[in-house]
Order: sequence, then structure tokens, then C-alpha cells
Amino acid sequence: MNTSLRMLMCCFLLLPLFSAGQDSASIYTAQLLQPPADSVRTQAIGRLAALRIPATFPLLMAINDKKLYLLDQKAVTVDSKPTGEGTYRLYSLYPDNTLLTNSSGQPLLLPLSALKTVDIPRGDRLQLAGIAPLLNLFSNDAQKRTLAYSQLKNTGDSATLSILQAALAKETNADALRTGKDVLYAAQLYKATTTANANAYIDSIGDNWSDNAPVLLRNYAKAGFLNQETAHYAAAKAISLEKRYDSLQRIQNFFSGLSLGSILILIALGLSIVYGLAGIINMAHGEFMMIGAYTTYCTQVFFTHTLGIPQTDIFFLCALPLSFIVAGAMGWILERLVIRHLYAKPLESLLATWGVSLILIQTARLLFGDLTAVKTPQLLSGGWQVSPHLTLPYNRIFIIVLTLIMVLFTYLMLFRTRLGLQIRAVTQNRQMSACLGIETRRVASITFFIGSGLAGLAGCAITLIGNVVPDMGQTYIVDSFLVVVTGGVGKLAGTIFSGLGIGFFTKISESFFQAVYGKVFILLFIMLFMQYKPKGLFPDKGRIAED
Amino acid sequence: MKTNNNTLLYILFIAVFAILLPAGYLSGLLSVNTISVWGRYFCFAIAALGIDLIWGYTGILSMCQAFFFCLGSYGIAMHLLLKKTAAAGAVLPDFMAWNKIETLPFFWQPFQSFGWSLVLCLLIPAVFAFIVGFVLFRSRIKGVYMAIITQALTLAMWLIFLRNETNLGGTNGLTDFSTILGFPLSSSSVKLGLYMISFAVLCGAYFCCYRITHSKFGRVLQAIRDSESRVSYTAYKVVDYKLAVFVVAALLAAVGGMLYLPQTGIITPGRMDVKASVEMVMWVALGGRGNLKGAVIGALLVNFLYSICTSLFPDSWLFILGFLFVITVLYFDKGFMGLVDSIKQRFSATRFKTPQTTH
Repeated sequence: MNTSLRMLMCCFLLLPLFSAGQDSASIYTAQLLQPPADSVRTQAIGRLAALRIPATFPLLMAINDKKLYLLDQKAVTVDSKPTGEGTYRLYSLYPDNTLLTNSSGQPLLLPLSALKTVDIPRGDRLQLAGIAPLLNLFSNDAQKRTLAYSQLKNTGDSATLSILQAALAKETNADALRTGKDVLYAAQLYKATTTANANAYIDSIGDNWSDNAPVLLRNYAKAGFLNQETAHYAAAKAISLEKRYDSLQRIQNFFSGLSLGSILILIALGLSIVYGLAGIINMAHGEFMMIGAYTTYCTQVFFTHTLGIPQTDIFFLCALPLSFIVAGAMGWILERLVIRHLYAKPLESLLATWGVSLILIQTARLLFGDLTAVKTPQLLSGGWQVSPHLTLPYNRIFIIVLTLIMVLFTYLMLFRTRLGLQIRAVTQNRQMSACLGIETRRVASITFFIGSGLAGLAGCAITLIGNVVPDMGQTYIVDSFLVVVTGGVGKLAGTIFSGLGIGFFTKISESFFQAVYGKVFILLFIMLFMQYKPKGLFPDKGRIAED
Repeated sequence: MKTNNNTLLYILFIAVFAILLPAGYLSGLLSVNTISVWGRYFCFAIAALGIDLIWGYTGILSMCQAFFFCLGSYGIAMHLLLKKTAAAGAVLPDFMAWNKIETLPFFWQPFQSFGWSLVLCLLIPAVFAFIVGFVLFRSRIKGVYMAIITQALTLAMWLIFLRNETNLGGTNGLTDFSTILGFPLSSSSVKLGLYMISFAVLCGAYFCCYRITHSKFGRVLQAIRDSESRVSYTAYKVVDYKLAVFVVAALLAAVGGMLYLPQTGIITPGRMDVKASVEMVMWVALGGRGNLKGAVIGALLVNFLYSICTSLFPDSWLFILGFLFVITVLYFDKGFMGLVDSIKQRFSATRFKTPQTTH
């Protein structure tokens, strides 16, 4: 409240000054765009720079960046990057700085060739060097603006502050706005003369809560500028900010643990079912994940290049089921060719499927090269900004939700369908189920299809957070085996618990040690855990548990 | 008949590698590099003997043999590097100076002396294997669980060795040695000497393993492989036997690693990544598990194939290896030696018109 009042007062005070300058600014602008002689233009730019009127800054900025163009005799500038087909969005410069739109209200898009470039000689541009940091406040690029704001730190000059206020008034980017406000409040805080005023600014800084805020408040407290009371207040504020930051950091850690855990679950789910059912250690499971990821990549290429749909999220929607089916089909083929002969020979199957994984990786490398990336769908880019310092990325949320859905489906499949009943029966006792008329081979191949498909789906999801490389499966395979071993083989609940557990544990230990030592620590922990529960979290009870 | 066959094979083996190859080099037919390459294969074969003991004879699939191999290599590498640094008049190896380390880390100190290095190269893997084995076997972790946990262990160790702050050279590993016990490593007579030593050690290791497998101890190991619970019901302490063979296997791998290092002149963590550890097991599987000759032949054959294939068609080596894995596991359960045996049997069966007997 206090702040806005003060800002308003400032504006009132400066208003007459502004309007007086405004007229001459219009004249100089006109002179600049259509100069009768070169010397007139030089003078006009010099005067404009000296006047320092915020309204003229976009124009001067365009001159400084050599991006001044004429469209129907009006001065315009363009975005720093073209919008795809070589066209640019346009902004008017003076007297108001707005995005130009066409008759239907859409942004006006034009190629550079449709604009007339205004050449300003280097000598003229050099006159702007003195106010270049201020000009950047009016840049079209949010990052440049953020930088410009932070460069204004430690300025107490009131003319600069009024320009800063003018820039903030039309600021649209959240990051830039936070940085800018931080600088403004800090300057005003150091100028404040009453305790109430200073405390109000300290509160504002606290509410604004930029990265710099705790340091800034601490410095103020240390300097003891106004009196002891404000210094204490500032110090207390800094501590409370840091505390809140720490608790948010904890939530962030928890969240990343959850997302890592759900990836592990998604991979380990298929692995666990297959291992439980057929006694197969499928080292090529990670490669089905890789196949899923490449299916997603191919779908994207197909949509953008063959169908010619440039920017769409539909490809990802299609890729989800496709990656399941393609990876599942590959798994089914593998089962037919190789795995079928290795039932209940886990160690042999480990070596044979390792060989298969080598072949698959090399095939992918020959087909696709070493590094490809899938574009994240626009819908899933960005994140949910819970508070200034806590952003939950949409793609991670998506993975968590996907895992939830897949776990639910797997549960329903295993415990509510006839196929699930058969799968559980074969898992418990293969010979007995065969005696009772279950076609164990058919059940096994269907299970393999589902298990590999789940891995493919995981691969599709992982394209959201990483590159697609031929040996991407290898990074996850040992971890997901650890999940299976810790959880107990063929146990849905065990897989979920141990997946989440290992995910959380990894992230928590990473915040204490470095990532590598965290991993070693987890391994030690699992080895100790196995001392206590050698058959995993949820072992089979009763006589079937004996081998 | 069988003993004759074996003796013939041994004589042939020794004749080719102890006489023919060095003679070929001395007469100028073979380059010294060929000799050195075969010397390295012998080191792999020594490690493969260990894997055969633990996997082929005892049925424990240990995926951390590659790590023990590297422990041996790293120990010798540290000694050689310190010797070279001392000869150059510096206090610290180059890479440590680059990492801005002031004093030699404590675990590098004992490697100043050759004797201590030898002792530690054997002691560290043995102690490590003892601790890991004790923890795992005590809680009756076996089969697949054992394989996965040892695999994860290798992965974790690999990650640790990759780090720069562990002062083991990071990703680049340890390299650039000059002398061993004062002999220059680059000279061809030293290379020939190392080759001969490796061969001798391989023969010695083979003899030891042969004695082990034919002793009472070895019989118990095979009994554990075939049915662990029955062995434990007959009051044998299964854990002790497994632990002993695990330590022996680790020692064999470490010896292989120690001899390997001076012949290649470099050791990087890449020797013990997941791929390398599975590959080592594959040598034994391809040669024939539960058969000491098979382990040696498998290690030599796969590595020989590797050097041929990577020079002839580099892109397809992984395909070849992959197919070899799959086909061996699917169709040649007993590996190369099993294949040879069955061919021999069929041959003799047709020749003498006797009904085929199964053993």
C-alpha cells in the first residue's frame, strides 16, 4: 500500500517534467526519422539521450540494436528471433511501444524484406553508449531486461529510479519483474527515513522474495542504516525467508524423488512381472525402453516431416500407445525366438538377453546415430509455479500421473481379469497350472508383450526429460533390477514400495552427499536390508517359498 | 584315452605359446606387439579361471570379477606411476598436480615400494571379496539376486573410480608409465619377459585350479552348485566354502589384472563397467563353464576374435558378440568345449560303431 502510494506521488511530481519533455521528444523523433541533414539527426539523438524520457527508450533501444525499421512512415522494431517461417513480430516505438496487430487482432507477422531499414551511422549510435544500461530495460528480450535490472543494483540516483519505475510499470515477465522490484525496493529502503517506512520496504522485499532478498536484507541489517529496530527487523525477515526457502527445497526434493521413483516403477513393473512369471532376467528390458523412446522420436519425425504438421502435441498422444505396441511387439518376437527356450534358467537368460541388448543397441546406433532428442510437447513444457521458488515441471507431473495410471491398469489386469488370474497361477506354480489346463506358453508370451510394452511406455515418458541415445536403457537397468530385488520378485506392491523408496532415498542422499556417493550409499543400504529380508519386502509365505 | 587326450592338448598348448610364438618373434616373423597382445590375453584367461571356479564349479554368478581385476591393475599402476614421478624428480603424479592436490593421499603412500604394492594388490581384493561375500552369503543371497547385487556393486565402484576426487585418475585412468623394477616397459625384451611371466602364471593358475577342482574341496563346490540345500543338510558349512572360493576367484582376477597392466600401459574405469563385467562371464560361457580348459580357451578365443573383428569390420563386432552370446546360451550349453566333446563323441561313435553313451 505504502509503496504504491509513494510511486504514485513520484509520478505526480514528475508529470509536469515529462509533459514538457514530451513535446520536444516528438520533434526530435520526427527529425531523427526524416532528417533534413545528417547533422540534424546526430543532434536529435544526442538530445533524446540527454532528455532520458522513458517513452523514447524503446526507440533509442532499437537504434542501439540496429533494429530500427519503417513501416508506412512509422518507426517499428522486430523481435530478436523470427517466428518460424522467417517472419517477425513487430512493435511500434513512439509515442507508445506496443505489439502491432492485423485487422483480426492477431499479431502482425512480416518478413524483414517488407520493412524499410533505417540506417543510423555508428558515430550517432555511440552517443547512446552512456545510457545503454538503461536502454536495455526496454529491450524485447526478457533475459536482457532481467540482466539490465540487476545491473542497476546499488544506484541511488532518483532520475534512474524514475526510469526504473517506468520500465517496471510495463514489465510483463515474472522473473524480470521480481528482479526489477528487488532493485527498486532496495534503493528505496536505503533512502527511507522513518522506521515504519523502512519496515514497509523490508516487507515488500520479503513479499517479492527474489533470490537475492536474504543477502540484501542481511547486508542492510549489518549496515544498521536507520536504527537498531529496522536492522533487527531486516535480519529476522532474512532468516524467515531462508527458512521458507529450505522447506520449499525439501518439497522440491520430495517431488524429484517421487518422479525418479515413478520412472523406476514404470520400468521395474514389467521387469518384475516377467521375472516372476517366467524366471527370466531380462537384461534387454532397458532396450525395450530405448525402442519406446525411438518410436516416440520416429512419430515426431513422421508428424513434422511427412505429414507436415509443424507444431502440435498430437504426436505425443499418438506416440504413447505406439511405443507400447512397438516395444511390446519386439518383446513378443524376442520371447518367441530366444526367451522361450530359457524358462526357469535365470542365469542363462541373463547372458542371452545381454547379447540381445548388445544387438539392439548397435542396431539403434547404426539406424539413428548417437544422439537425437524429442521435442517436449508445448502442453508439457514449463511448470506449475506453486510459489516463486517452487516450480513443479509439468513433464515430471505427467510422468507421475502416467505411472499412477499404469500401476492401476496393471493392478486391474492382474487381479480383476481372467488373464491376470492365469498369470498369477503360472507365477506360483508353472507345472501345476499347466496340469489345470492353463496354456502356460500363451500366458507367458502375452505377459512378455505387456511387460515389454510397459518398458516402451517408460521410454516414451523419458523422452520428456532426457535425450534419446542408443544405450539409454543401460542407465536404468541396474537400478530397476535393484527395485525388483528389493521389492520381492513378481510383487506389484513390492515394486511400488521399493521403487518409491529407492527414488526418495536417492534424492535425499543426493542432497547430503554427491550423486555418486549417494548411489554407493543406497547400495550399501540395500545389502544391509537384504540381510534382514533376503527375499525382498514382500516374500511369499508358506511352503512355496522354499526352492 | 582321456588322460592321453588331455596330455596331448597341454603339450600342444605349451608348444604353441611357450616355444612357437617366442621363436616366431625371435626369428622376426611376428612383431613384438603380437607377443604383447597374447600376453594380455593370458591375463584375461587367468581371471577367467577364477570366474570358472566361482560360476562354473560353484554356480555363483559373480559380476564383480572385473572390479577385482581392476583393483589389481590399479595397484600396480599406482606403483609404476609413483616410480616414474620419483624418477622425474616430482613429488606428485601429473594428474594430481592438475587437480591441485598438495600432498600424496595416504592410500598412495604404501605403493612407493614394489613389495608392498604386490601385497596390497592381493590383499585389498581378497579383503573386499571376503567382506562382500560374508555379507551376501550369510543372508543366503544366491542365484539371480547375487548376480544383480554384485553387478550393482561393480557399477557403484565404477562410478567412484570415475570421480576425480578419489585421486585415481578419474575417467582418464592411470597411464604413461616408464619402467617396472628399473626395466623400461617399452623395450621388446621386457615385453617378451612379461609375456613369458604371464604364460607361466597362467599355467600355474591352471594347475592350482585343477588341483582345487579335483580335491575334496572342489567336490563340495560342485555339490553346492548342484544342490545347495542338500549339502547344507549334510552338515557342510556352505557359507565357508562359498566364501573361500569367492576369495580365490577374486585373487585370480587380481593377479590377472596385475600382469595385465604393465603390458597395456593404461588402466581406466572402463575395464570394470557393466559391459566389461558381463563380457568376462561370457568368455567362460563361450568356452564352456565348469571346464577349466574351456575358460582359458574361451578367454583367448573371444579376445582374439575381438582384435580381428574390430580391425576388419568395426561396426559389426557388437552384433557378432551379441549373436555369439545368444547362440551359445541357446544351443551350446557347455560352450566351445562341449561342442568339441560332442563332435568327438559322434566321430568316435561312427568310427567304432559303438552305441553312444551318456556320461
